[in-house]
Amino acid sequence: MKKLLIVDDAAFMRVSIRNMLQNQDVEIVGEAANGLIAVSMYKELRPDVVTMDITMPEMSGIEALKLIKAFDPQAKIIMVSSMGQEGMVKQAIISGAKTFIVKPFKEELLHKTISKVLGV
Amino acid sequence: MTDQYHNEPMLELFIFESMQLIEQMEQLIIANEKFESYDSDAINEIFRIMHTIKGSSAMMLFNNISTLAHSMEDVFFVLREDKPKNIDSSQLSDLVLEGIDFIKVEIAKIRNGDEAEGDAAALIESLRVFHATIKAQNYTVSDQEMKDTATSKGYSAHKKQQYYISKVRTEPQSYSNSFQASLFFEEDCGMENLRAFGVVNDLGDLVKEYYHIPADLDHEDSAEVIQEQGFTLFFKTDRSLEEIHRTLGQTIYLKDLQLTQVKNSEPFDDLHEERKILLNDSAKISVSSSREGITNDQKESYSSASQQSIISVSVAKLDQLMDLVGEMVIAEAMVTQNPDLKGLELNNFEKAARQLRKITSELQDTVMSVRMVPLTGTFQKMNRTVRDMCKKLNKDVRLELIGQETEVDKNIIEHISDPLMHLIRNSIDHGIEMPSDREMKGKPRWGTITLEAKNAGGDVLIIIRDDGGGFNKAKIMSKAREKGLLQVPEDEITDNEIYNLVFLPGFSTNETVTEYSGRGVGMDVVVKNIEAVGGAITADSVPGKGTTLTLKIPLTLAIIDGMNIKVGDSRYTIPTTAIKESFRPKTADIIVDPDDNEMIMVRGQCFPILCLHERYHVNTLVTNFADGIIIMVEQDDQTLCIFADELIGQQQVVVKSLPAYIKHTKKVTGLAGCTLLGDGSISLILDIAGLFSVKKTG
Repeated sequence: MKKLLIVDDAAFMRVSIRNMLQNQDVEIVGEAANGLIAVSMYKELRPDVVTMDITMPEMSGIEALKLIKAFDPQAKIIMVSSMGQEGMVKQAIISGAKTFIVKPFKEELLHKTISKVLGV
Repeated sequence: MTDQYHNEPMLELFIFESMQLIEQMEQLIIANEKFESYDSDAINEIFRIMHTIKGSSAMMLFNNISTLAHSMEDVFFVLREDKPKNIDSSQLSDLVLEGIDFIKVEIAKIRNGDEAEGDAAALIESLRVFHATIKAQNYTVSDQEMKDTATSKGYSAHKKQQYYISKVRTEPQSYSNSFQASLFFEEDCGMENLRAFGVVNDLGDLVKEYYHIPADLDHEDSAEVIQEQGFTLFFKTDRSLEEIHRTLGQTIYLKDLQLTQVKNSEPFDDLHEERKILLNDSAKISVSSSREGITNDQKESYSSASQQSIISVSVAKLDQLMDLVGEMVIAEAMVTQNPDLKGLELNNFEKAARQLRKITSELQDTVMSVRMVPLTGTFQKMNRTVRDMCKKLNKDVRLELIGQETEVDKNIIEHISDPLMHLIRNSIDHGIEMPSDREMKGKPRWGTITLEAKNAGGDVLIIIRDDGGGFNKAKIMSKAREKGLLQVPEDEITDNEIYNLVFLPGFSTNETVTEYSGRGVGMDVVVKNIEAVGGAITADSVPGKGTTLTLKIPLTLAIIDGMNIKVGDSRYTIPTTAIKESFRPKTADIIVDPDDNEMIMVRGQCFPILCLHERYHVNTLVTNFADGIIIMVEQDDQTLCIFADELIGQQQVVVKSLPAYIKHTKKVTGLAGCTLLGDGSISLILDIAGLFSVKKTG
């Protein structure tokens, strides 16, 4: 089973994503509440895919993305963004994010995104 | 709500987290308002909170909350990025607090299962105007500064994007293959312009010269264009059609891809020209290394906000855990004190039983400590109350908080928040004088209210002290006379008794009812709320100097240390904290007064006796004082001797409320609840304060 790491400072979003992925063929190996934790968890858990929020305390998703990419250029990271964050999404793409998903999103879209990212 | 969110836990989490964030934000606003400016940490934090709420509420499809949060986020975005000077922080605070209130109300509706249909259009409009004002202000700043603070965010007005697609290479001729690709993305994928940007980015070094329609991917409108007409890309490359097709085919959310090789380079050149003109016109496309500007989000990365490593658990689950631990305490007693084991020599069993008892008691302590929460949140909330009251009444009051870290059982905290708020409103409304009056009396212009919490044995004391005018004794007396609330002869009444008259139902000294202090229903509701959790309230006052209100509330309700006693076949439990002593009475010490009330003389003092078997009509063989035992209990400076058959022993008991049908059908007095003892029998927990009133009236 593929391993997934959820990064979001809002517990609500973490649980939402976790719930949406119930009965899916992925194992959620960790949840991180900020970029700093995300980077260290990535190194430790080596997940196959990461969902990464952008606006977070301590360290933003973009910064974490860059650090993770520097550590593992093959890292597959899906940015979780919302309207109004176009500029940052762009930075994320340049920094090597696989793709992004825009809040609010539906369960099906998340499934599709993850399976496509894993399929690539 | 969509189906996926119909499950309760998500909703609960949404409510919980949003409320927590909103309250955190409220504190920030109030703390910063005092300094009449917002520091960058606070702005960062508020921006982040609004962003989170926007996202969460959008996920839950509470669009009104999401829209409002978005407009507040916009304002704080400008504050964060542009750092405008001369902001009207008072107006800003008002707007944001209004927004907070709106969100609170909507969340309350959601919690109650109502539709969150509130409309914040007016507020959003005010925020928009405010947003426009601070932005306009910022345009006066020099261009250079603008560049420095320019943001990478798409919706900022002065977007000077730093990273653009490389357009022209010096030797385009070396790339022989020209292609035209049309890409269509799946519906609902969102931000199509950035998906397209991603495609270009993915192609990276494979292509050397390219143009695309729409040309400006930064503009939000381009997303719509791509949705409708697709994204068209012209490029030159040295790679083969297959290779390019494979690369583009990997695009996520790709619905349709058409890739054709352009034999004739003419259309390409035409486009080239066309683009060039556009380029000159708008300067929207510029040449730059795509790696530039990456460090731009540094600001974003380092926020000093601290994150707690704490998980949240619903109180219902904790209650359940507490119940289970209680059952376990009982079960443990049932096993280790099982009658079947009587008289048996069981060394190993004893050892194991001791271990079990130790672990059970540790478990119980841990669960208890989990339920304890500091009063910080409740106290902090009062800042808002004080602020609102002061603004409304034009008074100047400072709130001092002492001992916020004092911990109280979660259930109790919920019960004291409203009474506290009410008492503080009362203090500001009736206690603290207008600034000018205060100056005339030689006091500082601002009033001070001190809110203090401290531990006192098994209780927590919460003290509300103000330096206002104090209670007016004569006024209270005349009011009490008028309402017929006096129960003590007037010449015997002490100052303290006078002050405590204000807690009687239907009492209010202020002739003119104000919006905040209610209509005289307040005080007795306060008292009822506090008594509901087994607490008490007293008042003390010095005319001209101020008033002190003291709330005494128990640490916890769930488990108490109790002394189990027996009367006939019934068991009773007395909270150990109330017991002063217990002894076997001598018949000689018993006194009976002319009204047949029994009293006992102990060390030269006389105390009333309450015979439990008489009070609760229990059949018992022990009716003679010399055969039974007296337990002397004390509460609130009153002492009472309870007469029972015998003591069973001391034990921690789990308090369970009396079944509703008993509570409703019979007016039970003097009982706080019931519990289960080790042998499986039910014991009634005596409510000492209740017993005193029983003794007095009956």
